[in-house]
Amino acid sequence: MILNDIEVLFGGQAGDGSLTTGDLIATVFKRMGLDVYTFKDFPSRIRGGHTNYIIRASEHPHYGLADYVDAMVAFDLECVEKHVDEMRPGGFVIFDNTSEQLTDAVRRTDVTYYEVPLAKIAKEVLGLELVRNTISLGVLAQLTGMDPAIVRSLVTRQYERKGEKVVAQNIGAVEAGENYVKEHFVDKPSGYRLRAKPDVDRLIMMGNDAIGYGALAAGCRFMAGYPITPATDVLEWMAKHAPKYGGVVMQAEDELAAINMVIGAAWAGTRAMTATSGPGQALMTEGIGLAGVTETPIVIVECARAGPSTGMPTKTEQSNLNHLIFSGHGEIPRVVLAPGSVEESFYITVTAFNLAEKYQLPVFILSEQAMCQSKETTPRLDVGAVKVDRGKLHHNGALTFGEYKRFEFSDDGVSPRAIPGTEGGMHLVPGSEHNDAGVITEDARNRVRIMDKRMQKLVSMRPDLPKAVVHGDPTATVAFIGYGSNRGPINEAQQRLAAAGVPSRFLQLRTLWPFPEETVREFIKDAKHVFVVENNMTGQIDRLIRYVTGPLPRLHRVLKYSGRPFRPIEIIEAVENTLNARTSKDGHTIVVGRNGARSSSAPAEHAVAHLLEAPADDVVAAD
Amino acid sequence: MATQLTPKDFATATPSWWCPGCGDFGVLAALKQACAELALQPKDVAFVSGIGCSGKISGYLHSYAFHGVHGRALPTATAVKLANKDLTVIVAGGDGDGYAIGAGHFLHAVRRNPNMTYIVMDNQTYGLTKGQSSPTSMLGYLSGTSPAGNPDAPLNGLAVALAAGGTFLARAFSSEPKAMVEMIKEAVNHPGFAIVEVMSPCVTFNKINTYKWFKENVYHLSDVEGYDASNRAKAFETLMQPGKIPLGVFYREVRPTLDELMLKDTPAVSGLDIESVDPKLAKLQEAYL
Repeated sequence: MILNDIEVLFGGQAGDGSLTTGDLIATVFKRMGLDVYTFKDFPSRIRGGHTNYIIRASEHPHYGLADYVDAMVAFDLECVEKHVDEMRPGGFVIFDNTSEQLTDAVRRTDVTYYEVPLAKIAKEVLGLELVRNTISLGVLAQLTGMDPAIVRSLVTRQYERKGEKVVAQNIGAVEAGENYVKEHFVDKPSGYRLRAKPDVDRLIMMGNDAIGYGALAAGCRFMAGYPITPATDVLEWMAKHAPKYGGVVMQAEDELAAINMVIGAAWAGTRAMTATSGPGQALMTEGIGLAGVTETPIVIVECARAGPSTGMPTKTEQSNLNHLIFSGHGEIPRVVLAPGSVEESFYITVTAFNLAEKYQLPVFILSEQAMCQSKETTPRLDVGAVKVDRGKLHHNGALTFGEYKRFEFSDDGVSPRAIPGTEGGMHLVPGSEHNDAGVITEDARNRVRIMDKRMQKLVSMRPDLPKAVVHGDPTATVAFIGYGSNRGPINEAQQRLAAAGVPSRFLQLRTLWPFPEETVREFIKDAKHVFVVENNMTGQIDRLIRYVTGPLPRLHRVLKYSGRPFRPIEIIEAVENTLNARTSKDGHTIVVGRNGARSSSAPAEHAVAHLLEAPADDVVAAD
Repeated sequence: MATQLTPKDFATATPSWWCPGCGDFGVLAALKQACAELALQPKDVAFVSGIGCSGKISGYLHSYAFHGVHGRALPTATAVKLANKDLTVIVAGGDGDGYAIGAGHFLHAVRRNPNMTYIVMDNQTYGLTKGQSSPTSMLGYLSGTSPAGNPDAPLNGLAVALAAGGTFLARAFSSEPKAMVEMIKEAVNHPGFAIVEVMSPCVTFNKINTYKWFKENVYHLSDVEGYDASNRAKAFETLMQPGKIPLGVFYREVRPTLDELMLKDTPAVSGLDIESVDPKLAKLQEAYL
């Protein structure tokens, strides 16, 4: 019997309502006091095509997927065919056998199958085929022991807006599901049990909502964006809420317009942001440079998806980091921050706005599909603790003509901003190179001085940057480095490796640029094996580390670029195989996820390692 | 107490980069005159420009000025207006800036109808890069990039704007200062997106569309008996007519502006007190319990 630890995969064809029911299941788990993480594996289309929604519940927070799926709710055979290999031995499948039957090929001896004519019950008993999802919730609830009162109260809340009749239909659907189990499967227990714990003042929130909420709390009152998966939720969240606080949200004609709108609003004195993903980020590159040279404080949310080009719009990846750090012609100061959970998404967003205004530059918040569109249970967010720091401002003063200098030289590189409308602060802000007064000039001496001034901000801001977090045993010789959504799977791998006698430490980077060189150097110093875990093919963080550390033995890459997030077992196996290899001091490149969406098979050495220009240093480095 | 200013109060100390005789001088002089006559204060003027010879103009008007990237002045300016609706927002750019690289933004600014003024300084060539053909160059225009003659039909920006829902469309000629000043003043006072296209000859590269050529090839709507600037169909017909170039206000219409629609009862967004967090905000979390 497995208690309070379950991963449910809810799957069928896109557009059949699995999102609503998946969210309901997640909230039931949350109300039962469990920790929840959800993952959307949707196709980039509205109707049709296989889609699934994963809801994981556990006794302790994991911020990521488990090794296996415990329970599958499948509305068609395709779902079982695609995912039955990902089932945990001892897991179970609820299958709608109204119009399709399970084939021998998908029947595993170590998995229990509950065949329920969900659509048929929906139509014949309840007269409404739409409610088959809710019936499946009843089946799942009965098989796992969900609290019936919680299930009913949440179903009621979900359908309240649609009227009493719809609520009654859905409550009836839950009961029909429960009853079917009682009547047909009384001798066929699922092996899973949920037991409610107190749910004390916690939220269940999606990463993108936390970013929107953080922005509003930080005083953001202007947002412009262009719809793009998986960042659109931020724009929609702000469009819904910001106007109530005097804010304005614009849907721009493209990302070029969006970023220039944000720059205009910020120059005019409003805290402003945009949210986009890779393809939009590419278009915004021009504007980022403008914000850098004009020292305009803006926040750009990048919700990364799998590239290149259109790539896989609904899949996750960490391949846009190089773009955020290095894109654009010329050189500007910029900041890249990466939250590692929904909770951090809120606080990092607040920090981003303060950094942007205090140092007058573009600040990126880097999230990923596996976090920004995932829900997590999280403690209440402390809005009262938010401090707004608007940085140096030029206030009304009796300045004579030409006295105010927008880009006045200073030790920290920051000059007071005069917001348009301020007496005596008139100035020109050009994207062309300029002097301290904003006058366009190509003078050689000025050029060096003003470049130095802008770049000085990267140094003066260091104390204000979010610090990296060390998880696990700080003295362990096995070390991990990673960021973003990989925080969860790495943490979980650490816990299980420690239980197996392999303690480890994990440096979760939260500021990715300016790169925390000292922190990384210090962290790596005494490690025997360092595993850099990333969702990309070329090891983008790994390269930054090598750049600052120089030659280093046993610096390994654990990479996954199938568009799906890591499962802990994949990291554990990568570590165990490497530690057991006892070969040389070489760094290994280990690619996982080759065998499918969420394969748990043993990782393979990189098949095209020669493409990755593995540095020779790996081999010859001396102790 | 604000005092009545003169055009000189809107001058900066920055020397001009334009060639002697450039049509853009006329535009700048008219703009300063209009600002003074409108009794504006430099601190209340947000002047946004694009890239090109025309874009340099933001350096020469004493105001809050933003000289952005090529073609993107309109989105920037739209947001400035939304951030602070008390500012008088004026945008200036060239034919390449507005009708080529910024054409998409131009269309969407027109349909949004923000309350601001857009001056298109049309010299029918790319002056700053030395005379290549532009979206308003005439067919057959010879240049470094069109040595066999420009094969692209010129874009009729005002006709396009009319189709996109433009609410104030006017055209001036930079050697007619009085008319230009009046037109700019009317544009600034227009409640909505006001476009003033100024024929501004490039004396260095455009040897066809010269001051002399314009003088021979323009006529004034004020001389057209019974011209009615509230008649959209008539305005379209006039704009599309081949032959001589009409000058004057083609069309005027009042419809809700973007800032009216989006801000309603909101004070200027940038003036909101954001340093103390609204206690209502904490309550938002209840939807996530």
